[in-house]
Amino acid sequence: MKRALLAGLLLLASFPASAHHSTTAEFDVTHRMTLAGTLTKVDWVNPHIVVFMTAKDGAWKFESNPPAWFRRVGVSRADFSKAIGQTVTVEGNRAKDGSQYGYLVKITYADGSSLELVPPGAAAP
Amino acid sequence: MKKQLTVFAAVAVLTAALGADQAPAPAAARAAGHPDLSGTWLFSIDLPPTAIKREANGASTVKGIDASGRRTAAAVPGALPSTPEPSYKPELRAKVKDLFDHESRTDAVFYCGKPGVPRIGPPRRIVQLPNEMIFLYEDISGDPYRIIPTDGRSHSKDPNPSYYGHAVGRWEGNTLVVESVGFVEETWFGEGGYFHSDAMRVTERFWRSGENLAYQATVDDPKVLTAPWTMPARLIKPSTEPLEESPHCVEQDGKFLVNDDHHGQR
Repeated sequence: MKRALLAGLLLLASFPASAHHSTTAEFDVTHRMTLAGTLTKVDWVNPHIVVFMTAKDGAWKFESNPPAWFRRVGVSRADFSKAIGQTVTVEGNRAKDGSQYGYLVKITYADGSSLELVPPGAAAP
Repeated sequence: MKKQLTVFAAVAVLTAALGADQAPAPAAARAAGHPDLSGTWLFSIDLPPTAIKREANGASTVKGIDASGRRTAAAVPGALPSTPEPSYKPELRAKVKDLFDHESRTDAVFYCGKPGVPRIGPPRRIVQLPNEMIFLYEDISGDPYRIIPTDGRSHSKDPNPSYYGHAVGRWEGNTLVVESVGFVEETWFGEGGYFHSDAMRVTERFWRSGENLAYQATVDDPKVLTAPWTMPARLIKPSTEPLEESPHCVEQDGKFLVNDDHHGQR
């Protein structure tokens, strides 16, 4: 059980990963938070896209993988911006310094559809 | 009329010389008698290894990325002997370690800085002309280009320092050899804190390995290294994905860093 837990943590810690700053230096990758709110803005910028939302406790920002990555897995800005003004649920890793900032791992839209970053091994062969 | 006949005859002779079973190559490459390196090549900048899972209407799909161009290839025919790491002068090794240990704060690439040569790696697109090569890149910091003369000229005298250097190219058999000098000092030539001086000279080699583009670079900097460093070769697959302008780079993570973990620790 302990080994399974450790493996799970390692899996969790293995993403999000990028060519940018260390994830563990910035985000709590051991805990996945969930937040519902209204999607207000999507910045399609390097080195990370940024999704803005308004939740009960105010404004939040979530960065995620680089635009070049999203492009290569077939996701465009429109896949996010289509929901601006609508309620979405974001799952991710919060900034360790307590800011209302995080790394987006999953977004679920009002119609139940979702986009989620998953470990590379989950990809179909 | 006479002119048209002459052109027609020349085309007929050229067609016969090529032979019916030879695939047509771009005229410039064929005329120069060199391998054809032109084309669009796989995006080879480091990207997260994660995949995307889409769920909609009860259906689920997962799509990953092809990161093969980023990895070093095990054995590439025609590659020079290589070593995994450069050899710095003993008195500079502590500096390299310190830069690497604090890379989240010290690596300019993490702050939208230009990676320079050879860190940017192979180009996304190569246009091959009789007397020059045009390299087009896609990078998080912007989309640089390099125009590399292959007409036998040497480097300009005292070129102004730049991120991508002053380059000249030549053919050695079937390999395009690009020599670059005149670099600014703020880039690293590798992610391990590999700083360099203004004396850095980079030699990049490009050749075809089947349908792939082979790429290998050598860094020589006698002010900081004990010997030139040849890094392992990489194989880059052809790509049908067109180049696209890279979005503006806006760094916003630095202020959230709470420790010096580096990305190798993830």
